[in-house]
Amino acid sequence: MARRRKSLAPKGRDDDVRIIAGFALGSILTAIMILVVVIAPPATIGPSEGELAPDFSTDAYSGANWENFRLSDSFDYEWNADEQGEWILIQFIDTDCPYCWTEGETMSSLHSQWSNDVEFITIAVELSINGHDSDRAEIEAFRDKTNYGTDDNDGNGCNSGRDNCINRPGTVHNWVYAEATSGIMSDWEITGTPFLAILQPDGYVAWNQYENDESIEDAMERLVGGSQ
Amino acid sequence: MNEALTDPILLSFIAGLGISGYYMTRDNFKTTSLLISSLLFAGIGIVSSSYTYIIHNKMVVQGTTSFCSSEGIVQCGSVIGDPTWNNLFGVPWGIFGIISFALLIYLSLSLYLDRHAKWAESYLQYSWWAGLAGLPFVALLVIIELTQVEGAPHICPFCTVAHVSLIGYVLTIYYLKNNQMNGKWVDSE
Repeated sequence: MARRRKSLAPKGRDDDVRIIAGFALGSILTAIMILVVVIAPPATIGPSEGELAPDFSTDAYSGANWENFRLSDSFDYEWNADEQGEWILIQFIDTDCPYCWTEGETMSSLHSQWSNDVEFITIAVELSINGHDSDRAEIEAFRDKTNYGTDDNDGNGCNSGRDNCINRPGTVHNWVYAEATSGIMSDWEITGTPFLAILQPDGYVAWNQYENDESIEDAMERLVGGSQ
Repeated sequence: MNEALTDPILLSFIAGLGISGYYMTRDNFKTTSLLISSLLFAGIGIVSSSYTYIIHNKMVVQGTTSFCSSEGIVQCGSVIGDPTWNNLFGVPWGIFGIISFALLIYLSLSLYLDRHAKWAESYLQYSWWAGLAGLPFVALLVIIELTQVEGAPHICPFCTVAHVSLIGYVLTIYYLKNNQMNGKWVDSE
């Protein structure tokens, strides 16, 4: 009697090759990470002192019209600590925030003293607080000290709608006012305003308002040097 | 000719994609060749993603890099260097590419080492769905390159290598699934 031939379905290997695949993949990933760290180690990015300031690209107003502005365009990547260079003062404000309203004068004073050595950049945010709605016209009026709103505390104008923007303390702010996005606020960990930070010319954060008790004037004096 | 297109590293990636494509069609879509092809596509994907991550780190710390052109339409400086679009929730796209292709390599390598294992059919399905899941991101990134980055449109060649790698990977898995359904999973001589 003829014996029926049993067709043999291919059978898998006895050992579990997935472990070998896992080890092989681990080796590949380790090699990649070593290569990345050797060739181009990732920078620590954040608003804390010693970190590289988070870059952003957004629309900004510099007195004429709104144009694209990118923070890193102001960085001097070749800068050395023993060299002169243009430092950067970053200020986050909300045009309806009372503290930002009064800080307008401080900023004017700082600008008159350090404008030759420091680039001033203000970033206008809109905090999620009742009465803190703002638009580009309000930001322009806050910067330029032009007629916007009333002094009647009717919600129309700057400083939570208490004041006409033309009455902001200080002089006209002749520097860039950038419009914040949610991405910028989250990268810079902004939870309230005003917030100030001083960046080295190469973009690293040298002073963060929330991280020490030193006043902005003392910090500018210490980091940038004598005022004009 | 655009300077970016004559970059020797880019040309190596393109050659690698060509070899992967050759393996895909070699021997009339035999399973072994397709598995090698999928590994090659995923391998080029992970290397090109790593390269874009290196460019990203260089751009962040130095503002520029000699690894990639910043001029013309075909360039990566304006794409990988764009702070608004070069990351997803703060994580550079290159990292996402490395993780995604690592998963695909693991699946393909496991299949290549033992295509007859009990789990092989499931792993083929996982490869298929994992590859497909990446395609919407490829579409999104191409839209970003063409419409959103500073000075758009731009095409980042190294990013495109990673995108083509993923598309090639999905194609090889498609043919592998065909082989499995049509009883061609075991290579005939």
